[in-house]
Amino acid sequence: MHGQMWPSPATAQASVLANDWLLFGTAGLAVAVIVWGLILFSVFRWRRKGQTEGPLPPQFDSNNPLEIAWTAIPLLIVLALFVYTYRAEADVERLAPKPDVIVDVNAYQWNWTFAYQGGPTVQGSFADPPQLVLPLGETVRIVLTSSDVDHAFWVPDFLFKRDAIPGHPTSFDLNPSKLGTYLGRCAEFCGFDHALMDFSVRVVSSSDFNRWRSAHHT
Amino acid sequence: MSPIAEQAVAPPGRSDLLGWLTSTDHKRIGTLYVITSLGFFLVAGALAVVMRTQLARPNSTLVSPHAFNQLFTLHGTAMIFLVVAPFAVGLANFLIPLQIGAPDMAFPRLNATSYWMFLFGGLTVFLGALTSEGAADSGWTAYAPLSEIKISTGLGQDMWIVGVFLVSVATILTAINFITTTFIYRAPGMTMWRIPIFAWEMVATSLLIFMAFPSLAAALLLLFVDRHLGGHAFDPSYGGNAVLWQHLFWFFGHPEVYVLILPYFGVVSEIIPVFSRKPIFGYTGLVIAAFAIAGLSMGVWAHHMFTTGAVDDPFFSFLSFMIAVPTGVKFFNWIGTMWRGSISLATPMLFCVGFLMNFLLGGVTGVMIASPPIDFHAEDSYFIVAHMHYVLGGGSLFAIFAALFFWWPKMFGVKLDERLGKLCFWLLFVGFNVTFFPMHLLGIEGMPRRVFTYPDVGSFPLLNSLATAGSYVMLAGVVAFAWNVVVSTRKRDPVGPDPWEANSLEWWTSSPPPEHNFDDLPPIRSARPVFDAHHPEIAKGGAG
Repeated sequence: MHGQMWPSPATAQASVLANDWLLFGTAGLAVAVIVWGLILFSVFRWRRKGQTEGPLPPQFDSNNPLEIAWTAIPLLIVLALFVYTYRAEADVERLAPKPDVIVDVNAYQWNWTFAYQGGPTVQGSFADPPQLVLPLGETVRIVLTSSDVDHAFWVPDFLFKRDAIPGHPTSFDLNPSKLGTYLGRCAEFCGFDHALMDFSVRVVSSSDFNRWRSAHHT
Repeated sequence: MSPIAEQAVAPPGRSDLLGWLTSTDHKRIGTLYVITSLGFFLVAGALAVVMRTQLARPNSTLVSPHAFNQLFTLHGTAMIFLVVAPFAVGLANFLIPLQIGAPDMAFPRLNATSYWMFLFGGLTVFLGALTSEGAADSGWTAYAPLSEIKISTGLGQDMWIVGVFLVSVATILTAINFITTTFIYRAPGMTMWRIPIFAWEMVATSLLIFMAFPSLAAALLLLFVDRHLGGHAFDPSYGGNAVLWQHLFWFFGHPEVYVLILPYFGVVSEIIPVFSRKPIFGYTGLVIAAFAIAGLSMGVWAHHMFTTGAVDDPFFSFLSFMIAVPTGVKFFNWIGTMWRGSISLATPMLFCVGFLMNFLLGGVTGVMIASPPIDFHAEDSYFIVAHMHYVLGGGSLFAIFAALFFWWPKMFGVKLDERLGKLCFWLLFVGFNVTFFPMHLLGIEGMPRRVFTYPDVGSFPLLNSLATAGSYVMLAGVVAFAWNVVVSTRKRDPVGPDPWEANSLEWWTSSPPPEHNFDDLPPIRSARPVFDAHHPEIAKGGAG
């Protein structure tokens, strides 16, 4: 089962999210390398050798054009990053007008119920965590809630999680884009057995999904 | 007669135990805060080492889930409320009156009250471990409804609420004292634009405390009412609202992050100029940046709630991004201070360089998770654990050690040993990065935080073992520090008023300072009066 190695995006939304990681990771690393370089350069270039103190170095303490520049340039960078991130989030959180499958997900200490609207309902046990079966390429609406404390629905290969808060149901869409079985888990600390509150997601073809659905229909 | 001369004729305080217990002297209270927070640091650090030992291997059964949940609850609560914040409070207590040329804090008895409330609040949280169901185990964030009495039935949770409440009230009282002292008690010549950066950062910190901590205190009271007096503020089954807890908590909790870092921005801003033998670069910019950070940090609390689906993510994301700008200004100012300087890598400066290197990574990952699409994956994973420790461990903790090595001679009259100090630095620096860098990768690979165990798959075992090994190296660094304290105290090698050739007024008086602080003061004509007095040929201005 995938989910304990480097994540590989398995939904349409995850591809958008992966690009955000790539952009921010690259930009962040570039900034870090430049600033680390400046710090280490100053330390080693102007390190005092030996015990003698010598004359005082030049006592300058400001430089207005420089200070304006290092305020303005980072400001422009973060504004650009914000515009990008704003669009990416809108893409990921867009809800389809008519989803193909709707699943009511309920989180509770320490397990999950996956109730497909129109059946079936999947109920796991502690020894045998439940599996969420999803059709490839279709739009799946997850309606998430909790019946006791805060939990969070997290599938690392979807690069996405959403909190399950009692009294506050929320919805999001998933468009599975890759066949396979993926690990899911609770991400919000929820008490004694939080660490073991796992589930799995199996993405199958549309026809397999319909076959599975009718076989499990009661 | 000036207030300083008046103090000079006051009878000396008692130096025995009773003298310390009843003291209202800001230096003694400051020292008590520092020592107490270091005591809590040793305990909270030991808890972390136990957690890392449990997590060294997959499916380990060294500690039970219940015990593990108490361990991380106490570790987080202690590090945040009882170590990083009160160490800054202790340092500020000791330093602010000295730095602005005052004889004491504005409200000395209120000051003593704050310390004792903090101490007993902290002890109350820990004493919960002696109750039948153990200490609180719902995390330092105590999310309701998990912390409600239906689920967290133990007395430990109540003791946590009471203890943290006491600490938060103590912190609010202290903030009032810092603001008043800095504004009212400055010596003649100490204008606002000559106040040392550390004191400025404490003013910004105190304003944040003043705005943020009442929200925490209110949330704790509501939770207590829910648990024992039939309230249902956070219980959705009776019309309460679980999201409300997160709002009240993070309205405190995010400014709190800056309460935990702004004082340490002040610490490195004091130390870097001394060991570069230059004035601080961009004094005005640093002060404005401190208040910009403080102001913005009041409007970013819900970036802890991006994954709730209950907040306007872009608004909080935008303000969180903006904090990168004034923080960047500070970085460039510190580099500008070192630029073309004459840099000595004595232990306090080494820790400052370590602070810059570590905190930078915490800042970069901070900008990443300010982007909701990234946070959707990172939130509540080990990536957050890594980020937050790079800020508060690699940042604040390294500045704590910088401050200890720098101001130790002023507090106790003896220098700490340099060779042991450098050993301590390298053990902590290497240990820290080996512990926390792998956690970024663990988070991306899907390891949630606050788990007592994990399965034997992928690179989980390797990265976790690495993190555990790093934590033992850090432990060795802390032992090296403790050994240094013993050695240096035994050697009894007294230092003069100004062992580092420093800038601000605390270095004018003897080490340690007399009870009344100053016998006389140099003229204060710039932000570094002691430097001016020693270098009249460079000193700025004449009568100005």
